[in-house]
Amino acid sequence: MTERAWRNWYLVPYGIWLVLFVIAPIVFLLYESFLDIDGHWTVANYEKVLTPIYLKMMAYSFWYAFLITLVSLLIGYPTAYWLTKTRHKQLWLLLLILPMWVNLLLKVYAFLGLFGTYGLANALLQTLGVGPRQLLFTDFSFVFVSVYIFIPFMVLPIFNALEELPPSLIDAARDLGASAWTTFRRVVFPLTLGGVKAGCQAVFIPALSLFMITRLVAGNRVITLGTAIEQHFLVTQDWGMGATIAVVLMAAMAVIVVLTGTGRKEGSR
Amino acid sequence: MKRTHWWGRVYLLIVFAVMYTPIVYLMYYSFNSGGAMHDFQSFTLEWYRDVLSDDRLLMIVLNTLVIALLSAAIATILGVIGALAIYYVKRQRTKNALLALNNVLIVSPDVIIGASFLLLFTVAGIKLGFTSVLLSHIAFSVPIVVLMVLPKLEEMSPTLIDAARDLGAGPWQVLSSVVLPFLAPSIWAGFFMALTYSLDDFAVTFFVTGNGFSTLSVEIYSRARQGISLSINALSTLLFLFTMLLVIGYYVLSQKGGRMYGIGGRK
Amino acid sequence: MNGEEIIRFERVTKEYDGMVVLDDVSFAMERGKFYTLLGPSGCGKTTILRLIAGFIEPTQGTIYFHGKPIHHVPPNKRQVNTVFQDYALFPHLDVFENVAFGLRIKKMKEADIRQKVSEALRFVNLEGYERRRIQEMSGGQRQRVAIARAIVNEPEVLLLDEPLSALDLKLRTEMQYELRELQRRLGITFIFVTHDQEEALAMSDYIFVLNKGKIQQFGTPKEIYDEPINRFVADFIGESNILSGRMIEDFLVEFTGKRFECVDRGFAPNEPVDVVIRPEDLELVAPGDGQIVIRVDSLLFRGVHYEICGYDENGNEWLVHSTKKAEVGETVGLRFEPEAIHVMRVEREDEGA
Repeated sequence: MTERAWRNWYLVPYGIWLVLFVIAPIVFLLYESFLDIDGHWTVANYEKVLTPIYLKMMAYSFWYAFLITLVSLLIGYPTAYWLTKTRHKQLWLLLLILPMWVNLLLKVYAFLGLFGTYGLANALLQTLGVGPRQLLFTDFSFVFVSVYIFIPFMVLPIFNALEELPPSLIDAARDLGASAWTTFRRVVFPLTLGGVKAGCQAVFIPALSLFMITRLVAGNRVITLGTAIEQHFLVTQDWGMGATIAVVLMAAMAVIVVLTGTGRKEGSR
Repeated sequence: MKRTHWWGRVYLLIVFAVMYTPIVYLMYYSFNSGGAMHDFQSFTLEWYRDVLSDDRLLMIVLNTLVIALLSAAIATILGVIGALAIYYVKRQRTKNALLALNNVLIVSPDVIIGASFLLLFTVAGIKLGFTSVLLSHIAFSVPIVVLMVLPKLEEMSPTLIDAARDLGAGPWQVLSSVVLPFLAPSIWAGFFMALTYSLDDFAVTFFVTGNGFSTLSVEIYSRARQGISLSINALSTLLFLFTMLLVIGYYVLSQKGGRMYGIGGRK
Repeated sequence: MNGEEIIRFERVTKEYDGMVVLDDVSFAMERGKFYTLLGPSGCGKTTILRLIAGFIEPTQGTIYFHGKPIHHVPPNKRQVNTVFQDYALFPHLDVFENVAFGLRIKKMKEADIRQKVSEALRFVNLEGYERRRIQEMSGGQRQRVAIARAIVNEPEVLLLDEPLSALDLKLRTEMQYELRELQRRLGITFIFVTHDQEEALAMSDYIFVLNKGKIQQFGTPKEIYDEPINRFVADFIGESNILSGRMIEDFLVEFTGKRFECVDRGFAPNEPVDVVIRPEDLELVAPGDGQIVIRVDSLLFRGVHYEICGYDENGNEWLVHSTKKAEVGETVGLRFEPEAIHVMRVEREDEGA
């Protein structure tokens, strides 16, 4: 067999995977979105998506995803920054990655206990004199748990961007008379913007479509697009409507991916 | 090396304390005889006994492991082939198009992947259960492997392949004795990544699992929805220990990787 | 050509996406000689190497190996081995396995492999390094491993693609001697690619000077240095003074407005020419004794000699290598022998080698 024949052969199995599991599902999703619950052709699903109920749900989804991303960034950037300055960098990094290996649902489940009426969080609040509060099934717990889940995905790309920054650049900025803060603002932060973007993308997109965290700790109160899709597919069996929301969500996400540059970053799930 | 300011260290300590509190909390109460995640009463191994005597649960653990290992292995093979396919595509536009398609499943949310796979299996007439879960896990792991292997491939000097051909290697020998050994560390990394994604996946599995078949994530979800049960805590402690073993194994492998393939180069 | 021909290019052209990198090139090479392909980057020298190795195929023309066309013979079936610019050593194999790679492909017996590999390593002075990892070797050592890996296959032709460019100056000079010595001992054809004219002059039996996909000049190092065929070769092969002039008649040439006796002939009367005078052929004398008078503009001490730069009354720049010192701003005379003047035809666009 010639060299070229080999190279073309590689495309066959990979191409089959692409067609079956990337292209076909999208096509089916699009097709299904034009069917009503009895399998007849309709555009009613799209009309329904534009009603206030769904528009409000969409707004909610985006607002919470934005909030989760913002909080993750605000906590994550300093974490990444100080991580690069610690002496046992690799050990700290390992400690950061380790919770990522714990099953997501177990972490969410832990908060059922932590945030419970008699849990650790309320015990802390009580010693501070704030008294027991309803934490579970609130917006606060939803955002807190989501940030908890996603923060490593924010820290890692920023950490990598900071690590790739040549130290001589910081020396150069200091040498040219910039203060530590100016150096950070004018040199370090702009140069790590790629990592920030990657991190935001890795948090925002999954945050848009969360449904298990919603179901478990937000008590179905925060109805996000993810919850709606799951509801339609697995509970009400209105696949057409579920597919329509999925299509709208995908379109929104495509816009985000284009706006924040390419999607060539790992760990965005 | 520059020292961290004290507030930097305090900040990191707080972050890491918060990161580990839920995990420690879970494990701590797995030994509580009180039956709730508060008011520790006395030490007991009752919940562990529960877990280990639960045949259904053990079956599910076995299922999860089989799915993870099988899907990771198959996805690794497919992913390496995919990375080679993309690497050898000459036209930049075709290459970019392939990469964009490759990344669709990585940037798509799990819910959409799950829903669309559910549609796919329904249309294709595949019964929901072991097969559909296995296929789904293979499908979403392939692009991860591609992304792990491709950069290493691009990093490989093209003269390395020229050199092998120059020394008499045919296409198969170039692949087996130069390219694959060179890629070995990234292939292992891809395999482990696929393994973790499979073990960790809940949403996609939840959609395509059907009635008769379950994985750990799905099982934990349905149990957690019914409220707190300390056997979940016991299970999570066991899983955490298992994960630690995996991580350590991975690190040992990746440290040794270079050496191992340095010795075993003969065919 | 008196020796046995080993490689012949006949009107070979190579294009990449419509870009001509090798333009209708023909030449032949003999067995057992040291050839150098010399030229600036992008001149086509590496393309010739890759064509011989078989990594690429010519767009037009034929390449002969021992008188037979070798198209469609894949690189792994050619009696040719390459030492790559970045060495291309396999990072996952140790020194021994790198050198043994080609032999293992040939399914040679283990005992023979051992013997041949240690022989090859001895040849490049790397005995005892068999089990070292490539990452543990220095640049010069990697270079030797790459050479050992190539010669262990007993190729008829060894291709060397700028193999010394990654080494520092001292090591490079050392390796030049070693490579030349190695070629003599092996007695096979070496084809060496470089952009360093000193390297080419020091090592080669024959040099091909290339530019823009064409062979500009072929000859021994001395021929090329002493009788450059055109302005490009003269400029590329060493520092020179190149002036425009006119050939009045045989043995008489005019430049800088003066007429000089020379040793060249065979030009049309009053044909425009380029004149080359090497800086080391110019002698520093008192202004009254000089054929040319220059005003010294700058001076650099180069160790063996001074490098003096100045301008004559017509504004031409002159470069002089002299063991005598001159002061900046001083006026000095320059003397030179008729043999020092090299007259070249002026290059026209359509004129090849």
